[in-house]
Amino acid sequence: MSSLQGPNNFTNDGSAVIDRTIEVRSKKLAKSIQELDHIYEIERTVEMIMSGGYERIALQFPDDLLADSVEVTTVLRDRTQKKIFVLADTSYGSCCVDEVAAQHASAECIIHYGRSCLSPTSRLPVLYVFGKHPIDIDHCLEVFDNLFGQDNTIKIIIMYDVVYSYCIDKFVHKVQTDLKYTNVIQSFVKTDCNISQELKDMDNPQLNGRYYKLFEGTSIESYTIFYIGGESSTLVNVLMTCNKCKVYSYNPETRIGRQETLPKNQSFYMVQKAKDADVIGIVVGTLGVAYYLEIISHLKKLIIHAGKKPYTFVMGKLNVAKMANFMEIDCFVLVSCPENSLLDSKEFYRPIVTPFELEIALNPSKQWTGEYITDFQQLLSDANIDEIDFQPENEDEPHFSLVTGKFKQNRRYAFKDSSQDDTINNVTDLTLRNKHTSISTMLNSAAGEYLNSRTFRGLEQKIGETAVEIAEEGRTGIARGYADEQCLCPDT
Amino acid sequence: MVNFTVDQIRALMDRVSNVRNMSVIAHVDHGKSTLTDSLVSKAGIISSAKAGEARFTDTRQDEQDRCITIKSTAISMYFELNKDDLEDVKQKTEGNEFLINLIDSPGHVDFSSEVTAALRVTDGALVVVDCVEGVCVQTETVLRQALTERIKPVVIINKVDRALLELQLTKEDLYTSFQRTIESVNVIVSTYFDKSLGEIQVYPEKGTVAFGSGLHGWGFTLRQFAQRYSKKFGVDKEKMMQKLWGENYFNPATKKWSTKSNTPEGKPLERAFCMFVLEPIFKLFDAIMNFKKDEANKMIEKLDIKLNSEEREKEGKQLLKIVMRKFLPAAEALLEMIVIHLPSPVTAQKYRAEMLYEGPADDECAIGIRDCDANAPLMLYISKMVPTSDKGRFYAFGRVFSGTVRSGLKVRIQGPNYQPGKKEDLFVKSIQRTILMMGRYVEPIEDCPAGNIVGLVGVDQYLLKSGTITTSETAHNLKVMKFSVSPVVRVAVDVKNANDLPKLVEGLKRLSKSDPCVQCYTSESGEHIVAGAGELHLEICLKDLEEDHAQIPIKTGDPVVSYCETVQAESSVTALSKSPNKHNRLYMKAFPMEEELAVAIEAGKITPRDDFKARARVLAEEFGWDVTDARKIWCFGPESVGANLLVDVTKGVQYLNEIKDSCVAAFQWATKEGVCAEENMRSCRFNVMDVVLHADAIHRGGGQIIPTCRRVIYASYLTANPGLLEPVYLVEIQCPEQAMGGIYGVLNRRRGNVFAEEQRPGTPLYNVKAYLPVNESFGFTADLRSNTGGQAFPQWQLMNGTPLEPGKVCDIVKAVRKRKGLSEDIPSLDKFMDKL
Repeated sequence: MSSLQGPNNFTNDGSAVIDRTIEVRSKKLAKSIQELDHIYEIERTVEMIMSGGYERIALQFPDDLLADSVEVTTVLRDRTQKKIFVLADTSYGSCCVDEVAAQHASAECIIHYGRSCLSPTSRLPVLYVFGKHPIDIDHCLEVFDNLFGQDNTIKIIIMYDVVYSYCIDKFVHKVQTDLKYTNVIQSFVKTDCNISQELKDMDNPQLNGRYYKLFEGTSIESYTIFYIGGESSTLVNVLMTCNKCKVYSYNPETRIGRQETLPKNQSFYMVQKAKDADVIGIVVGTLGVAYYLEIISHLKKLIIHAGKKPYTFVMGKLNVAKMANFMEIDCFVLVSCPENSLLDSKEFYRPIVTPFELEIALNPSKQWTGEYITDFQQLLSDANIDEIDFQPENEDEPHFSLVTGKFKQNRRYAFKDSSQDDTINNVTDLTLRNKHTSISTMLNSAAGEYLNSRTFRGLEQKIGETAVEIAEEGRTGIARGYADEQCLCPDT
Repeated sequence: MVNFTVDQIRALMDRVSNVRNMSVIAHVDHGKSTLTDSLVSKAGIISSAKAGEARFTDTRQDEQDRCITIKSTAISMYFELNKDDLEDVKQKTEGNEFLINLIDSPGHVDFSSEVTAALRVTDGALVVVDCVEGVCVQTETVLRQALTERIKPVVIINKVDRALLELQLTKEDLYTSFQRTIESVNVIVSTYFDKSLGEIQVYPEKGTVAFGSGLHGWGFTLRQFAQRYSKKFGVDKEKMMQKLWGENYFNPATKKWSTKSNTPEGKPLERAFCMFVLEPIFKLFDAIMNFKKDEANKMIEKLDIKLNSEEREKEGKQLLKIVMRKFLPAAEALLEMIVIHLPSPVTAQKYRAEMLYEGPADDECAIGIRDCDANAPLMLYISKMVPTSDKGRFYAFGRVFSGTVRSGLKVRIQGPNYQPGKKEDLFVKSIQRTILMMGRYVEPIEDCPAGNIVGLVGVDQYLLKSGTITTSETAHNLKVMKFSVSPVVRVAVDVKNANDLPKLVEGLKRLSKSDPCVQCYTSESGEHIVAGAGELHLEICLKDLEEDHAQIPIKTGDPVVSYCETVQAESSVTALSKSPNKHNRLYMKAFPMEEELAVAIEAGKITPRDDFKARARVLAEEFGWDVTDARKIWCFGPESVGANLLVDVTKGVQYLNEIKDSCVAAFQWATKEGVCAEENMRSCRFNVMDVVLHADAIHRGGGQIIPTCRRVIYASYLTANPGLLEPVYLVEIQCPEQAMGGIYGVLNRRRGNVFAEEQRPGTPLYNVKAYLPVNESFGFTADLRSNTGGQAFPQWQLMNGTPLEPGKVCDIVKAVRKRKGLSEDIPSLDKFMDKL
């Protein structure tokens, strides 16, 4: 059976990487310098750079706008005479501002192009340039009127994909004057961060980086949301966080307006999964979103208080293979910007939950009400870890797991507080040997337990079972392809 | 009713050899509860404080309304056997006072799990068979269950009054009908014969079969008649019993017994049973029902039946009932039969111990159980949870098999997943209170010795449905009960008001506790699922959920059934999948597994915990496996116990042992969520044909292997002609001939498959047996249901066709996928299969 023979091209000369076509459609948005000026807001950018007096500026492009990056850089460099860089390959999602990469180049400010999740950043001043996607405003108005035609006093909040923010003022104005809708509220997105204070008005409620001002005495539940933009994680995010509101959308590309419903709400199930987990991995999926450090330490505390074991992972873009390497983890919690954290974890070996879901699962004072929070700041302000009563008296009582429909007894890993640890304190010059003549004790360790449950526990010494041999020369090269691997399959 | 103080009852419990734990089992509507009533009204114990209150056995309003038993209920009874009869008790006794713990169980198939729970705590069973309907499916199911639990049966043929009044059978016809019924019982008994139980077939002449009418409150065994006649004939009672059944005839002319139905002169003789037993009964019926007052009175006098003046006034059925009840009181006859023929805990545990205990037969617990020793370490099995008046709390109901349980005792509570030496599913707690459970009343008692049935307070938070309670640190678990039904019908529930969600979750937990069979969980799409054995079961569960457990308005979806995914042929090619880094390759093939093997795994006869060599031998001898393959079974799945196997058939693959854990993890995942509809897989065998691994450990870690192994399982599955299994009911319908056409029509429309049709001898009724897909059984009219006995035995039937081609199966798969929020089309093979 030739098909069962060894591999024939485990190693390669790297040409595959060069030949590989990436599945990114990057086409030039701007056809002329004027258009470039318009779409990429060169004027505003130059003004910001000059007024801020920045010397080193980093430009962050998403993959689909890379085609224009050269022109933009050239134009900006010509006009400002400053040092300008283009950041390659972001560590996390392209919607997030990559502050760390910018700091590598000692940049003083970042200009972020394209779609953005608008997560607040903590370190550097950022200017957002969303780019301007074409939209047929008249058609959009028509669709809008069709959707809400019966009632022009209905309370509506207009939300939109950031790439349409340039024309939103015009649209809202037309809705209010031409169509005579009286209770329409426009939401605003900020176009910069850590530069000006103009929108940091705390009276305005904020949702996914969008600000809006509701009418007096009303709450968001009584509003209907009209969203302009195509299917994207932004829309899903709006649906999740405003799941008590009706949401309609207009997609400028397909020119279709419709009511949106959440495709599938897995949150409740995820919360149950997290409840059942004994060992939880905190995956750091952002280094930019404000308060990410606070939320990580908060989660860690929460997990320890609940008697579970936390591990922290720093990973770039998540994929199935990476995550499946940690079989001892029962559940992952992903700390990242709202738009990246809503990923479908179906293909992953272990469930991946959001910080909010974990909070619901582990914090006994919180209950699932259907609302959904993605904002770290809000999450932190809602939960004060020290005030939580974790009911230590009946701590070993099993809980009813809704995942399996059975009782689940949580293993409790005592948080190793060395001052209280009897095992360590009692170690004196003489230690009682147990009957297996070993003095080592497993300190209630999750990793130890896992190792015990495995059938393969690493290389065995097999002392006395194997003959002693003289050392031989091993392989050379790196793991991706050793020098001798070419001959693995001699017949091909 | 007998009035006792708790202390008196407690004193009875100490004499274990005089305790009888028994359950009443039967097909639906054969009259268990009515019969139980007549027993309880005679001998039921109520504590003096509670005397005079409402009826005993009806614990739930809906049970009364529907005339159907839903929950099994335990009742204690007290019986004094005549001192003369004590010698008939062929086991050790102390005195003539007996404590009988009776558990009335539901007959409807949907509640079979209650029967299983009842059987576990009892040693004997009273099998009730309707004399007109005979032995039905459910009779067979519960009897089979009883025998596998090593429960000794005695039989009562019930509703004899119907045979006499409605069918107007002749004596000889009635005899043949009785005989046939007893034969069919014995056929089942001998099929599940177990050497250690000894003789368990039932014989009227030995007194293990009773005849009677629960409704009218009369009944007899041949013993009663033999007692009457033995003096008259001057024959020994036991000999007389022999003569009163079978081919024994009495010639009144010569006053001689004969075994031939004719005299030497050729004159026909009447069977002794008809002559001595049925004759007086027939005469009484005839006289009273046909209003032959004088004749009746004469007979009543002759039979020495005392009637008061008020009773004398009555006529017809009323009078008949009173007379028969005084002539042949049912309770008397049945209690006698129970006490004489059913084993005491001491007797029963000798042979039940090895079946009950998972651990070695010679440890202290096993010996304690075998000897029913009240001083041995405590071994107590909790078989079900009974709701208390305190919302959300439950009494743990069970049987002490060894030792003594007392309030305040510190015990080890071992859940079903407990393994000796591990800490999982183990709690060390104190028993708060021990209680005596009598119908719906409870009385606290100080302690309870081995052999008795008891309720515990304070362990319900640690056990979901059942478990073992012990004081021995080395104790293994008592065997987990195997139910004959499985929760194959499920329905999604949701709150009407979003704020009630926490209440619903708590309600689901309580519901799950209160029923041995029901499952409550959340599906991946966030729906709350309640799964039960059948439509009726679900209906009751949902009602309980809404009214008792959650107490909030809920909305429910349509019932749907669970399917299983399987393969119908060997994979057409060896499937190959490469790891994400392309450095590892797995080759696999799927095969259909032998149906008998799948059943054996599900029945717990072949388990992952068996010694692998012994298991390999069984697989080779009984299922024709290759021994080398059979020794290299990597795992069972899903949940490490299901009826799918991952087998390593590779030769000399390096580092293979390193990836075993990853493959096992992937196998559990893939068999739990099959590729077609994300339903469980069943009856599939996956052979790992070959493996190519990267030489470096870092490149063959779990991250590379788990997703790859899952993919190759799916790929091999898809190339092995996938199929879908659906659960089917075995239904039995009794109907007159003219209704047959209609029945066939209904069954055909619902994809039913009739496999047997026979006339019940001596009746105009026909028995139709058919397999009916559970999915098609919804909305069977209540009327048809009541005439239908079903068996929700997890019988999986392969549906015609494959989900990969358009057709019924494909439609079902698409519907399931849609419900689960998946893309409508089954993922294609190229998603899982790689090219070299």
